[in-house]
Amino acid sequence: MKTTVNINLGGYAFNLDDDAYERLRQYMKSLEKEFSGEPSSAEIMSDIEGRIAELFKMRLNPYKQVITMKDVEEVMAILGSPEVISGGEPSDASPPRSQRRIYRDPDRRIIGGVCAGISAYLNWDPWIMRIIFAVLILPGGFGLALYVILWIVLPEAKTTAQKLEMRGDPVTVDNIKDSVKQEFDTVKKKMNL
Amino acid sequence: MNTDNTKAQMRKGILEYCILAVLSRNSCYAVDVINELKKAEVIVVEGTLYPLLTRQKNAGLLSYRWEESPQGPPRKYYELTELGKIYLNELDKVWEELVESVNQIRDKK
Repeated sequence: MKTTVNINLGGYAFNLDDDAYERLRQYMKSLEKEFSGEPSSAEIMSDIEGRIAELFKMRLNPYKQVITMKDVEEVMAILGSPEVISGGEPSDASPPRSQRRIYRDPDRRIIGGVCAGISAYLNWDPWIMRIIFAVLILPGGFGLALYVILWIVLPEAKTTAQKLEMRGDPVTVDNIKDSVKQEFDTVKKKMNL
Repeated sequence: MNTDNTKAQMRKGILEYCILAVLSRNSCYAVDVINELKKAEVIVVEGTLYPLLTRQKNAGLLSYRWEESPQGPPRKYYELTELGKIYLNELDKVWEELVESVNQIRDKK
């Protein structure tokens, strides 16, 4: 049993499973962003909306009244993802680094999470960073002062969005969902032990 | 070098020309244009076409009229304007020249 959402596409009413609706909403939003530079983006979007309505109608019959996730995915494959539409360069390019920020990582910390946070930013194993700091501490404690300063200066990654930023993952609904689920699984594992 | 990317760029370059060529025969619904271009393996996904049609329409190369459809919303039927026909003629010439140039370079031993 699933909840359905009623939507208006190109002047026609459709019933969508709620997960299918969420997927379609995200897709339309990403397309809108893709075309936002065009002077007639509204017209392009309404053409696409009309086409989606047509493709949905072809997938409905008296015995199938609701658009499912499978239908949405089929339609998305026909119309194409924003990256493919924009010029065929698949998105294997590195994720936008502009969103990446340095935080202290409370999940992998030994002392203050400074080394873990910097490694998350650089995509390194935290132990490399810890060894570098340990070596810096040996002559005259310079590393220790640096560590304390960084501990004070760097904010702790508290929210899920901040943790995603720390790892350089784009902050999207899907990613937040994944990340929360991961944390939940870790906690569950710890409880079992 | 990524040959897929080069291929995609080449296709992209001739896409506008191909759209006009398809529409020069008779007025078409966007999906008819898509099917023809798909068959010729010039485009992969439908979404590529909508922004191009709108751009060409805004440039005065295409015009459209609405027609009722048995399934779903009314459809836009596109056709070439006079300006579009002149433009296509120009592109025809450019294409012939291009093919000749490339062949000349390729066949030189």
